[in-house]
Amino acid sequence: MSTVIQCRALTKRFGATVALDGLDLEVAEGEIHGFLGPNGSGKTVTIRILLGLIRPDGGTAELFGADPWADAVALHRRLAYVPGDTNLWPNLTGGEIIDLLGQLRGGLDPARRTELIERFDLDPRKKARAYSKGNRQKVALVAALASDAPLLILDEPTAGLDPLMEAVFQDTVLDTVAQGRTVLLSSHVLAEVERLCHRVTIIRKGRTVETGSLAEMRLVSRTTITAELAGDGAALAALPGVYDLRADGPRVTFEVDHEALAAVAARLGELGLRTLQSSPPTLEELFLRHYGDELEHGQVNHPSVAPRLEANR
Amino acid sequence: MTPATGPTPAALRVPARTAPPAVTGGQGSWRGSLTATRRLIRLVVRRDRVRLPIWVASLVGLMAVSAQSIQSLYGTDEAAQAYVATVGDNPALEIFAGPGYGFDRPTPGAVLVNETMLWLALATGLMSVFLVNRHTRAEEESERADLVRSAVVGRHAPVVAAMAVTAGANLAVAVGVAAVTLPFGFPVAGTLALAASIGLVGLAFGAATAVAAQVVGTGRGAVGLGSAVLGLAFVLRGIGDIRAPALSWLTPFGWGIGVRAYAGERWWTLAGLAAFIGAGTASALVLSARRDLGRGLLPERPGPARAGALTVHPLGLTWRLQRGSVMGWAVGVFVAGLVYGSVADDVEAMMADNPQLADYLQQIAGASLADAYLATAVQMLSLAVGGFAVASALRNRSEEAAGYAEMLLAAPVSRWRWGAVHVVVTLVASVGLVALSGLGTGIAYAQASGDAGQLGTMTLAALASAPAVLVMAGIATLLFGWAPRAAPASWAALALFAVVQLFATVLRLPHWMTLLSPFGHVPSVPAEPWRLLPLAVLGLLAAALVGGGLAGFRRRDLAAD
Repeated sequence: MSTVIQCRALTKRFGATVALDGLDLEVAEGEIHGFLGPNGSGKTVTIRILLGLIRPDGGTAELFGADPWADAVALHRRLAYVPGDTNLWPNLTGGEIIDLLGQLRGGLDPARRTELIERFDLDPRKKARAYSKGNRQKVALVAALASDAPLLILDEPTAGLDPLMEAVFQDTVLDTVAQGRTVLLSSHVLAEVERLCHRVTIIRKGRTVETGSLAEMRLVSRTTITAELAGDGAALAALPGVYDLRADGPRVTFEVDHEALAAVAARLGELGLRTLQSSPPTLEELFLRHYGDELEHGQVNHPSVAPRLEANR
Repeated sequence: MTPATGPTPAALRVPARTAPPAVTGGQGSWRGSLTATRRLIRLVVRRDRVRLPIWVASLVGLMAVSAQSIQSLYGTDEAAQAYVATVGDNPALEIFAGPGYGFDRPTPGAVLVNETMLWLALATGLMSVFLVNRHTRAEEESERADLVRSAVVGRHAPVVAAMAVTAGANLAVAVGVAAVTLPFGFPVAGTLALAASIGLVGLAFGAATAVAAQVVGTGRGAVGLGSAVLGLAFVLRGIGDIRAPALSWLTPFGWGIGVRAYAGERWWTLAGLAAFIGAGTASALVLSARRDLGRGLLPERPGPARAGALTVHPLGLTWRLQRGSVMGWAVGVFVAGLVYGSVADDVEAMMADNPQLADYLQQIAGASLADAYLATAVQMLSLAVGGFAVASALRNRSEEAAGYAEMLLAAPVSRWRWGAVHVVVTLVASVGLVALSGLGTGIAYAQASGDAGQLGTMTLAALASAPAVLVMAGIATLLFGWAPRAAPASWAALALFAVVQLFATVLRLPHWMTLLSPFGHVPSVPAEPWRLLPLAVLGLLAAALVGGGLAGFRRRDLAAD
């Protein structure tokens, strides 16, 4: 599988503000790649660099092995983009805008256009100024998904969509990937990312803090175990790799490092295991882990801070 | 239409002590509908704290130099007498300067009114059109109005606040005008009348725009309608003074200059203007209560479900986006041309009554009076088309700022192509509009004079200004390419050139200053013979500016707001 997007050590400043501070991003062909980060962490800036709309101050960005700034037009024949904040010409209808963007990208499949308009329940005769935020988003989505572009760059594409439309969106994206296309998906809807994405990149303050498949990330994270035991669970606390143990009668809840799991499981057996529930970390937990210091004073009840991924390498 | 930046303005923060509206003071009552007007006024002032002083200072400054210059040139009744003898009774100038009240017994004040009043009133009118739209319809279009109206803000507060600030700005201009004029020894009563008439005419167009903002659904449309009313009023007043005085009294300009400053003031005309302003504002409030926020009174119809063959290409799309404004301008300049052309014969006929003046003008102009008048008319119209050229060339900046450009540039459309299609539309439409203004003038004059050849002559005469108009588009494109956030400064350039063009004589501006303006190089065809070299140079300059601007745009980051 070849690499579709490759960013290395990207930097970008806007005056005194550092927007990107050595960001790395790699997206392989045929995957749905989740691009995560809190507001203002540099996701949209990265995407704008990938689109050749702005130039990085340092580092390299490559799209299909070419320079997104110098080869913008050639590259844009091979991608379709949905902006996070969809601004559409207020006096054009949704149908016209879909056709316009489609034609500019080298044509779109009329059957697919009709099908998508129907699936997304969009009225193509309305002027863009009369659309709600969600409907504007749908216009951009239909235009992108009805194209034949091998790469889709979606910047928070479901921000204004209702749950029903979100489901339609997810199904459609899975369909497009089944056709061998690649998707870069920036999103805050972690359940969506968890369902769709093969791999994710988490960034923070303009830097990449974690990248890999969810399975890989889980391997280096803690699993939460809840068990009922015949014996005294408190003894488990002494085992290496066990954290935050809480015992409530026969019931114990604790977190355990992936490497220690086998040893802990054996010990649980010795203690007379009756029931066992094991929850791998959710993406939300993985995500929040990287913002622990930002949340320390905050109200969010985040999972305990696990050792950083880097420390485990 | 720059959005407000920075922290939440204090004006919008509603303090906790604000009591909930009493049952009797709710939205239904008149007082309730004005809740938070004062806060909104502070917000408007805060947002325009740079823009407004620039407008006021420029207009007052222009008046100061005019008053000083007229005082030194025509400071005595004898000098004023000489002024009237040479330019005063010229009906051609009457169209652009005013009816010349007080020219039977000329005083320096009458000269001052003749040289400044209408142009300054036109400028305060423009200021008011922009200002009112910016804080009413443009605000609603941006959806910020929803945010504001969702707070404890009365239904009528936004319109009343916009009108209040516009009134304040016009008052500031009027006070400034009086303050800079009085020291040069002009009589007090006349000065106050002149200052008040300039301010009230400006505010009258603000009230007209407040109504326009209720009728049409877009900020661009409201400014277009407001400016069209302003332009139409200006043309009607000119024609009215030549042919049918009743027409003049249909326009705020007629009522404003009708106060007869320095010539036996008729103060009641100012009361007429005030009544017009009150009625306009009240209509705007009544209309605004009858429509939905964010919508105009004109209904929205569904459009095509599929794009036509034209719309799917960048050039076609750009034309589609500018079509409405080009069509509006086309009707405007064509009708103005027709009107100006139709009175060219009257100019000649009226001159027959005054052979001495005719001889004199013939000598200095070296051309027939009608030709001199027609040359002036088409030049005025091309100066106005310069406004279109700047607005149209700045369209690519507003498309960029609004984020629409991003959608196209993320498709396989190069920077070069996207920028170039906008420039092509601007250049072609500008040349077309200049030609149309000449065609209108030519048709009417050919009809009146029975000389069909005038049709071609006048169209060509107008086209002599086309390169200068294109230079304006070039300046705007250059700024767009290299300093996008400073691009609106091209309006300042146009304003400067217009002042140089219109005030060169009265201000006795040095020759080099008139040469700064591209319009200063245009031969006054048909009064003067053609000179092609300056036109070729202007054309090349325009091409270089446009090329330079597009080259800059290819190099820089996209800058959305």
